[in-house]
Amino acid sequence: MTTYAEAAVENSCLICGARNLVGAMVCCDCQAPLAIVHDVAAQERDPQIVTILGESNVGKTVYLGFLLDMLTQRAADYEAIPKGAYSVDLQQNVISHMARRTFPPKTAMEANSWYWAYYQIYQRKPAPKWIDLLMPDMAGESLAAEVSTPNTFKVIRSLLKLSAGTLLLVDAAMAANGSTQPDFFAVKMLSYIDSMHQAKRDERVQTPTAIVLCKADHCPECFDHPRRFAQANLNRLWNLCENRFSNVEFFATSVVGSLGYATAPGEDYVTPIPLHTALQGVLEPFQWVTDQL
Amino acid sequence: MALRLFSRRQPDPAAQRARTVAKRAARKPEPYEPAEPLVLEKDPLQRHIQLERYGHVVRNRQQWVDHPLIESAFQAAIEEIDAHFALVPEGFVSLSQTIVDAPGLPELDIETDAFLLGRTCVTNGQFQKFLDNGGYEDLDLWPQDIWPHLIDLKDQTGHTGPRFWREGRHNKLISDHPVVGVSYYEAAAYAKWAGYRLPTGAEWQMAASWRIRSSAHVLRRYPWGDALDISRCNIWASNIGHTVPVTEYESGAAPNGVHQLIGNVWEWTSFDFTAIDELARTVVGDMLLKEVRGGAFDTYFPAQAASTFRTGLASLTRAHNVGFRCVLDLTPSDAADAERRPE
Repeated sequence: MTTYAEAAVENSCLICGARNLVGAMVCCDCQAPLAIVHDVAAQERDPQIVTILGESNVGKTVYLGFLLDMLTQRAADYEAIPKGAYSVDLQQNVISHMARRTFPPKTAMEANSWYWAYYQIYQRKPAPKWIDLLMPDMAGESLAAEVSTPNTFKVIRSLLKLSAGTLLLVDAAMAANGSTQPDFFAVKMLSYIDSMHQAKRDERVQTPTAIVLCKADHCPECFDHPRRFAQANLNRLWNLCENRFSNVEFFATSVVGSLGYATAPGEDYVTPIPLHTALQGVLEPFQWVTDQL
Repeated sequence: MALRLFSRRQPDPAAQRARTVAKRAARKPEPYEPAEPLVLEKDPLQRHIQLERYGHVVRNRQQWVDHPLIESAFQAAIEEIDAHFALVPEGFVSLSQTIVDAPGLPELDIETDAFLLGRTCVTNGQFQKFLDNGGYEDLDLWPQDIWPHLIDLKDQTGHTGPRFWREGRHNKLISDHPVVGVSYYEAAAYAKWAGYRLPTGAEWQMAASWRIRSSAHVLRRYPWGDALDISRCNIWASNIGHTVPVTEYESGAAPNGVHQLIGNVWEWTSFDFTAIDELARTVVGDMLLKEVRGGAFDTYFPAQAASTFRTGLASLTRAHNVGFRCVLDLTPSDAADAERRPE
């Protein structure tokens, strides 16, 4: 007869290390899907985690969905193979919605409802290599909750500890309009990562960190000079990066070519409509991160 | 057995920094060779021909009736129009009125008269002539409500001109690429200056879908047929990633020889963009949306580059992927009719 202990040893959570019962669908501790355990165990390479961070409504899901779809279509000489059907769900969700000119629904706060993408990626340039990547689509609200109260979402803390590269998405359109919200959120997020690394005062975080200025179609100057834009409009973030992160680069990206709003008389809200797509700068930050893995 | 699942490799910081620095240094700016200034003809009629204002010459022949060179200039203009414009026969189009195009959803049927459509989009080289001839300073070419915005129509260096030019000069390495970084008003001003106008959304769709009046009831999804063929157009899937010269993709031309209706750059039309969503709510923009058609080099979904796909863009947007082509009416009265959109 198999004991619980013997069974659990074979089913350790990849993310937090907690032991789970055989047959469990999600980790009992951090809620990460355990299907990944089986898929990873079947491979010979250790996967690396790339985290896509950003506040709610910044466009993490859309960005990640398009990125994965582009990779699977061999953009920029990449080849991407999804491992497990669940890995395709995110890109299918995003692509099917955007093709119908609607944004995908908001990502749920609960970790067991997130999309997890596990891909084997072949990068031809600069030198041919295979990378196994795990990229979860985390909810912005969950990130905000974890940042303000650490260990609210254990899975986030575990993911960030294991992360080999980070893409921090920042709403450039809001920043260009004078809002300080994107700046403060990004600072909180990086400050959380900095404190988690427990680096000494004179040490800086070395994890490749791409600051991705999203919705840059609203402020075209982002594309011309992303660094200059960040320095001018996201100065708190800029300074923190200068002080505490040694491997940072700034990028601008946009996915939506034109944005409309559906509205009706008497309604006090509008629904944003992506009238058409025009991808700009989606691959570059990912390329920059994977070049260093 | 314990799996060692995540091994965060500890990079050598010095090597990593070197790699990053090398990568930054490797990012060379795009080559830019400013086009030389044009030496303009002194004679006004010859200057019109030099500046490719053929429509203006043909439509205003009476203005030059006493000019000794009018016959040869008129003939030259006709020959150039013949070479650069193609006849789109009369026909009819059904414009989708919803943001999602599906059978059974409301459509607006519009008859279109025959007209001449530019075989190619207006190029950087052609637009340079408009700029050099003072097109941005000639207020008659611009709607009065746009006059306050004219000072914002600057290039990368603060000079008047399309957004991606420098010091008022285009990059002569891409003289034959479509001009981009121009708003709807700049496109309309150019067309007016040259003696043409922008196509309506219905005319553009007629040219691309080739729905001529015949018993065959032909409606093409793309100018070459119904199936997407990325060897015939420059969209995201074609894996080019930037604009190409306006005469490329000959195999993707419409039956009358109009190039690149699909892909390379979106094209401004004179229609305002109106649509409703699935809940019959009106779709509006931050500012007036003008209809753009045809998709561009970065259009991800092939369906968004199809002949019947309608979308809108804020009229003052100066995007990297939007250009335009011109229309010449067969009769002067057609011009006024085309601007009136059926309710």
